[in-house]
Amino acid sequence: MPPADKIIQLRKILAERFPQGTLPTSTFLSTGVTGLDHSLGGGLRRGAVAQVVVPHPSGGSALLLHDIIQTMQHRFVALIDGKNSFEPLAETPFLLWLRCQNATQATRAADLLIRDGNFALTILDLKQNSPRELRKIPATTWYRLQRVVEETRATLLLLTRYYISGSSYIALQINEHLQMRDLSQISSVISDSLPIEFLYRKTFVEAEYASA
Amino acid sequence: MPAHKTRLFAVIYTPYYRLQCARQKRLHALPEAVTACNQLELSIENSMVESSVSLSVKVEEDKPAALLDAEGTRIIEVNPVAAAAGIEIGVTTSLALARTSELQLFASATELEHHQQSALLQLCYRYSPYLENTAAGVCTLDLQGRKGDNQEWWARELLAQWRSFGFIAQVGIGPNPEVAWQAAKIANPFLQVTAASSLLQSLPLESLNPSPYLFDILRNWGIRTLGALTRLPREEIGQRLGLEGLSLWDRAAGKSKNVLKQTQPPETFIETVDLEHRLETLEPLLFLLRRFLERLSLRIAAVYRLIAEIRLTLALEDGEKIVRNLQIPAPTREVEALFRIASQYLDTVQTSAPIVGFELEAIPSNPGQNQFDLFQSGLKDPNRFFQTLARLAALLGNEQIGIPEKLNTHKPDSVRLRMPTFDWSGTDQAKHKQLRIGVPLRRYRPALPVEVQLNKEKPIWICGQTVTGQVRVARGPWRTSGNWWNADRWDTQEWDVELEDGALYRLAFNTGRWVIVGVYD
Repeated sequence: MPPADKIIQLRKILAERFPQGTLPTSTFLSTGVTGLDHSLGGGLRRGAVAQVVVPHPSGGSALLLHDIIQTMQHRFVALIDGKNSFEPLAETPFLLWLRCQNATQATRAADLLIRDGNFALTILDLKQNSPRELRKIPATTWYRLQRVVEETRATLLLLTRYYISGSSYIALQINEHLQMRDLSQISSVISDSLPIEFLYRKTFVEAEYASA
Repeated sequence: MPAHKTRLFAVIYTPYYRLQCARQKRLHALPEAVTACNQLELSIENSMVESSVSLSVKVEEDKPAALLDAEGTRIIEVNPVAAAAGIEIGVTTSLALARTSELQLFASATELEHHQQSALLQLCYRYSPYLENTAAGVCTLDLQGRKGDNQEWWARELLAQWRSFGFIAQVGIGPNPEVAWQAAKIANPFLQVTAASSLLQSLPLESLNPSPYLFDILRNWGIRTLGALTRLPREEIGQRLGLEGLSLWDRAAGKSKNVLKQTQPPETFIETVDLEHRLETLEPLLFLLRRFLERLSLRIAAVYRLIAEIRLTLALEDGEKIVRNLQIPAPTREVEALFRIASQYLDTVQTSAPIVGFELEAIPSNPGQNQFDLFQSGLKDPNRFFQTLARLAALLGNEQIGIPEKLNTHKPDSVRLRMPTFDWSGTDQAKHKQLRIGVPLRRYRPALPVEVQLNKEKPIWICGQTVTGQVRVARGPWRTSGNWWNADRWDTQEWDVELEDGALYRLAFNTGRWVIVGVYD
């Protein structure tokens, strides 16, 4: 078993043995995607990094992205587009779109935006970035981002094709393979039925919640 | 029976004002003074409703000081220590120095006097809109409408604010401007008196500045104090000394009928300094910047305005001037936000010569009105956001950041980014989640060129650098074209294809070549 899988297994065991405490509703930021919110236990946690892994090229990550952005109608959302691949569909007056050319640029931009503290949600979309690029990002970068997020009480959602960040409090995987017939379906129906799996969820002591 | 309403007036009096201005100029002008000021104990508490400022400045008040005239030969103003040492106004410099070797001599700072007088009026405006610009360093306030007997708290607050500008002053309150001014002159630092106050009666006659002729007559009569004068019958004074005598008697008795020459505080907010030693590093300049911003912020707050723009002027040793206007995205008077913006600019400035002068002007604006609904919220810190935006622009480029806006065309991928304003006005607040059909596309920018094999005009095989495979399902073509009448002509046919690995792509044929424009994800 590769080391990464061992860590995931270990985290799963820990999650089962030390189940998560109940957090107040204000701690969560609803994504508007029923399945995702359910898996996240109410939404994205403020002051934490969450990661969603979508391995398949047509796995529904853009669908998820658009749904989240549309839900956050009255909140300021920043989308850090790691490969300049976002296609705006509807009018999104409170979305700040940052078109990056590579993952390094994107993580630097994320650092600046999270420190700013003005955005309810920051989405770092690295789905289209190659594994080689992602491997170049030092692990310390993710820990630094986690620290900043904790400090500013911001919310960072990381979208990737591969599991990369050990600093996220939760990692979910979407194992969807969209098909041609989905192109003529109502998008919310597809997104609500996305098959979401846990990669891992960190356990937290109640005291840590209290201080959060 | 209606209660008798007593009008009150307040006078803030800055003794030896011109000398204090000159001292201020010296304090700012010397780099060593600036460094010493770093040790100042400064605490400012500012709120929308109430502002209290306390600042302890180690000014050398115990040293004799005197102000020189324009020629630099005679003394025109002295502080109490110098006066106690026997230095009189009008004596020559050499004579004054002969009296005490510790005497500090200052040249007058006319421009600073003017700016600080404006600052005084602006600070006073916070407490009363009815002001008189009485004299240099003196401002009279009509306190009509200010209820309550306790006037001391706001007077002390005003004094503390004026102290933060480096000035020691006194406040007197009385039933008319004359009495208030007399009270201010003897206040320590606050005094509220009535017209019949014994304290006023004991004041010397000189305090009313009578004409020399009248003063001599009264002295010859043995009149030394205001009380002695008012004990004489008014009519008799009028018969012997005329209108001038009557006016003096009225003033001494606190019955002066003078009305205020009302003025509005000036709308200019400038802090300036001419440095005696050139500045070559940023640190002292940043210290001056912060201090000036604190003062400007206080002045702006006093007139209920916000700072919309900062004009920063650096005078260089070679005569050149660098002027920069810094727009404040969200007008504010928060010192930290303003300091961040100005210091960020100063960090990037490269000068051809050392700095010998620094001026900061705040351009005010009215507070904006923004009413959010239940679900709306503004940016927590708009100024910080626009700073972050500038940093992001430096990292990614200006054209790579913004709010996406679709262009009014059917041409694929027609989107532009506009500068964020995050203004709620004009947005449809009742917008609900729209029903969307299909799966969004992730675009490849630029599109990926591919070789496509067709069968009966349908793609069956794709071969490219990153995407290769057999086409399992293909839908299309969808033909679009436009702008055939100008150079931006476009004509494309698009296919949705599903490859054998299950990935869904949008394939396009335009200008004679096949490209993958994006992946459905």
